[in-house]
Amino acid sequence: MAAVTAAQPRSSKTESYVDNKRKEDIRQANINAARAVADAVRTSLGPKGMDKMISTANGEVIITNDGATILNKMEVLQPAAKMLVDLSKSQDAAAGDGTTTVVVIAGALLKQCLSLLSHGIHPTVISDSLHKASIKAVDVLTAMAVPLELSDRESLIKSASTSLNSKVVSQYSTLLAPLAVDSVLFVVDPEKPDMVDLRDIKIVKRLGGTVDDTELVKGLVFDKKASHAAGGPARMENAKIAVIQFQISPPKTDIEQSIVVSDYTQMDRILKEERNYILGMIKKIKATGCNVLLIQKSILRDAVTDLSLHYLAKAKIMVIKDVERDEIEFITKTLNCLPIANIEHFRAEKLGHADLVEEVSLGDGKIVKVTGIKDMGRTTTVLVRGSNQLVIDEAERSLHDALCVVRCLVNKRFLIAGGGAPEIELSRQLGAWSKVLHGMEGYCVRSFAEALEVIPYTLAENAGLNPIAIVTELRNRHAQGEINAGINVRKGQITNILEENVVQPLLVSTSAITLATECVRMILKIDDIVNVR
Amino acid sequence: MAIGKILKDDASEEKGERARMASFVGVIAITDLVKTTLGPKGMDKILQSTGRGHEVTVTNDGATILKSLHIDNPAAEVLIDISKVQDDEVGDGTTSVVVLAGELLREAEKLVAAKIHPMTIISGYCMPAECAHNALLQRVVDNKENAEKFKSDLMKIAMTTLSSKILSQDKEHFAQLAVDAVMRLKGSTNLEAIQIIKKPGGSLKDSFLDEGFILDKKIGLGQPKRIENAKILVANTAMDTDKVKIYGARVCVDSMSKVAEIEGAEKEKMREKVQKIIAHGINCFVNRQLIYNFPEELFANAGILAIEHADFDGIERLFLVTGGELASTFDNPESIKLGHCKLIEEIMIGEDKLIHFSGVEMGQACTVVLRGASHHVLDEAERSLHDALCVLSQTVNDTRVLLGGGWPEMVMAKEVDDLARKTPGKKSHAIEAFSRALVAIPTIIADNAGLDSADLVSQLRVEHHKEGCNAGIDVISGSVGDMAELGISESFKVKLAVLLSATEAAEMILKVDEIISCGPRRREDRM
Repeated sequence: MAAVTAAQPRSSKTESYVDNKRKEDIRQANINAARAVADAVRTSLGPKGMDKMISTANGEVIITNDGATILNKMEVLQPAAKMLVDLSKSQDAAAGDGTTTVVVIAGALLKQCLSLLSHGIHPTVISDSLHKASIKAVDVLTAMAVPLELSDRESLIKSASTSLNSKVVSQYSTLLAPLAVDSVLFVVDPEKPDMVDLRDIKIVKRLGGTVDDTELVKGLVFDKKASHAAGGPARMENAKIAVIQFQISPPKTDIEQSIVVSDYTQMDRILKEERNYILGMIKKIKATGCNVLLIQKSILRDAVTDLSLHYLAKAKIMVIKDVERDEIEFITKTLNCLPIANIEHFRAEKLGHADLVEEVSLGDGKIVKVTGIKDMGRTTTVLVRGSNQLVIDEAERSLHDALCVVRCLVNKRFLIAGGGAPEIELSRQLGAWSKVLHGMEGYCVRSFAEALEVIPYTLAENAGLNPIAIVTELRNRHAQGEINAGINVRKGQITNILEENVVQPLLVSTSAITLATECVRMILKIDDIVNVR
Repeated sequence: MAIGKILKDDASEEKGERARMASFVGVIAITDLVKTTLGPKGMDKILQSTGRGHEVTVTNDGATILKSLHIDNPAAEVLIDISKVQDDEVGDGTTSVVVLAGELLREAEKLVAAKIHPMTIISGYCMPAECAHNALLQRVVDNKENAEKFKSDLMKIAMTTLSSKILSQDKEHFAQLAVDAVMRLKGSTNLEAIQIIKKPGGSLKDSFLDEGFILDKKIGLGQPKRIENAKILVANTAMDTDKVKIYGARVCVDSMSKVAEIEGAEKEKMREKVQKIIAHGINCFVNRQLIYNFPEELFANAGILAIEHADFDGIERLFLVTGGELASTFDNPESIKLGHCKLIEEIMIGEDKLIHFSGVEMGQACTVVLRGASHHVLDEAERSLHDALCVLSQTVNDTRVLLGGGWPEMVMAKEVDDLARKTPGKKSHAIEAFSRALVAIPTIIADNAGLDSADLVSQLRVEHHKEGCNAGIDVISGSVGDMAELGISESFKVKLAVLLSATEAAEMILKVDEIISCGPRRREDRM
């Protein structure tokens, strides 16, 4: 009967109390883990934010200021903390910039939730109020935003430089910002004016030089040298370019084959035949007037052999080999030509035309540049230079962020002030709104408003200013109706941030708020972690 | 211990009281685990995989939670099974069915402790199940005749289902979306025609319903990106050279030019195949397998849009949707049915390019594109939407509708109580227990919302003594409210399935008086 008495309390009411206790614990553990993640990236927020050095498991070292990259490389195990990592990834996908901001906001919201929970407010009530507050916040932000025309290059450059200012490469923002703007504007298709595919912008990284030497190439850049094992040309004017997907090498069949050689003369003949075979192909190529060949990489079979390279060199055809298959689409789009998959289809109309194809020495290596392309497709290439691999990688990430910022502006043509101005304004307006609401809701919305102050607070803190003094003064200025007053980190004081040219796209701010809220609500609703298969 | 000699060493046996106890403990543990997810204010669970990758799932769906649990209790397995069946049959109510079965057993445990024979309890449970069924039948609303009203019923059901899920904030948006999708099916329950595509980025509100079919693939190089009045051939064929599939087959030649000839012949075969395909008069070709560079170029030359390496699900839906058939040989063009659609074009969702088929032959098909902050959100949104779609498609077939919010349980409880008063003998105890188990559902809903359940449920009971009352628990305001006014509805079929399968499972578990677990098969035995 011992078992019966032992099992009896399970069915009684007291047990549900024990259960509740455990739920609180799990929720607390989740929130604390998520906040720890947020704290880890907090110091990298803003123009004076610090960088993180990450050494990965395979010994690689990364120095970055990009929230998404930091979180991505951190090996987080706790499920709730993982959700924050995902949050920054989705901000990266949605807006491309503000990946640190979104995590910091989520952390601050969670902190407020913790105190709300300790007051005994039901998690779903908090969750619902947060949702309402975030909708209201988006409205407020939209009302603050300034519309923008794509022709207004100045403003676009301003917002790109705001994003770049917080990165390692900030001193080059005058160079990189116009570059980002130009490349995105070039890619925009006039037929679909609000679609930008960043895959149409290729970033080629090359060690050597400084970030200053980074340039925008209206054309193509190959990060490999022309193949001149046999002394082929390295420079070609009035180039006729063919992209081929077949191989210039002795034939190979799919079915297994063997050549039976019975005596020496036969061997000689085979060698001669091989030569003739290749020569025949090259003659066909030459007949179309083609003088530059881009050859797709081939796994099954050598794309080119020494012999064919030799003949190609003799025919004065420049060869670039080992082009990846997934690059073919970009190349053909840029060159406005068609790929050729069979020698029989090698016709003049499938070639692309360019004024100049040339091999250029850069640093310790060489690259091939194609410029002056006739009827060029809407693509661009950015050649990023830097003195070491770490700088190049970070420059690439920063450039990607800047490109995303410009893309956001193309998608949603509104600008908003930076420097913590929108957050403090949100905090003020939501605070006022919370007083109109009844019951728990008002209380939760006020917490939401308070949580948003974390952005200006952190900005000031990272810049070495007195955060409390700054935030209170900001509040004061906003209360007097200066909605664009923000922290000017360079001067260390509060100014009208719009006049200082610190602007960012509206989409970055709104998506940071909505995504952070969605994530926090999800964490709040969890009451148990179950280990499963 | 004679029994020890009958069973093998590792096998164990539990009898009588102990066996029943083990069942009860297992069932109650499972019930307690999932009961916090019940109702609009139910909580979510994190499922952390102990396998490789430590994948994390966040869910509120009872069936999903139970499916992934490690269980070593036969009675608990039974509960998991009924939840699975509920999921397959009607799609929703997977938590309710487990909770109800659990509560029935919890009550039964008390009766057993009071020395009532399990068989008496079982027969006592049979009667009220019948009676509750009838009570529901009397109160159902059927708006089959009135299309306008029926649609609003569907909306209400969808909203009620979604309100307990992650989509609750945008439930109107998603309810509309689900209703539209299901109405397009025109009565068929084939949910395959509704495709759900998940794309991270954006927020849940950006999700939309698209009339047509979206394939997550790329169009081949140099091929048209937009085709009107498309004729589509869907195939599963290797587009490289036809190989002789005999191991060790090889050709022997004595010169290089012969090799070149063979290669040429292989190319020629590919070309022939492509020519045959083109001869069907198509302008879009979708293949399950890879299309290599050479055929791709041939298709490009012929102005045909070729899509390679489409996944199996996509293919299956595609020929379902466009009305085509899967082809693998191309010798008889007249015997192959081509698919048709008005327009194929490339669209961009988030950062990805997808291929959009619109104006498809089978008007029933549609695609729901879900957007959300992270994969967790998207996965959970998909599960929730799937639940809503299941319920709706079932309701379209069985148009009877009930109110929600604990209303049906209270109605049933009242009838069952009346029955208990009329029934003589020990059975009446079991019938009373049945009614208590039913009342447990509104109690748990209230508990999960952090409300005073004892107070609310007693108020409900009073309300239900009046004739034709619509009272249920209004979780939002935390009081007893009129469910008809609040627009909280549930499908009759779901409720009925919950009632019947929970009762059956409870009876089955009660009947058990001995558990024999077989020892694991040892590997050494085979050596």
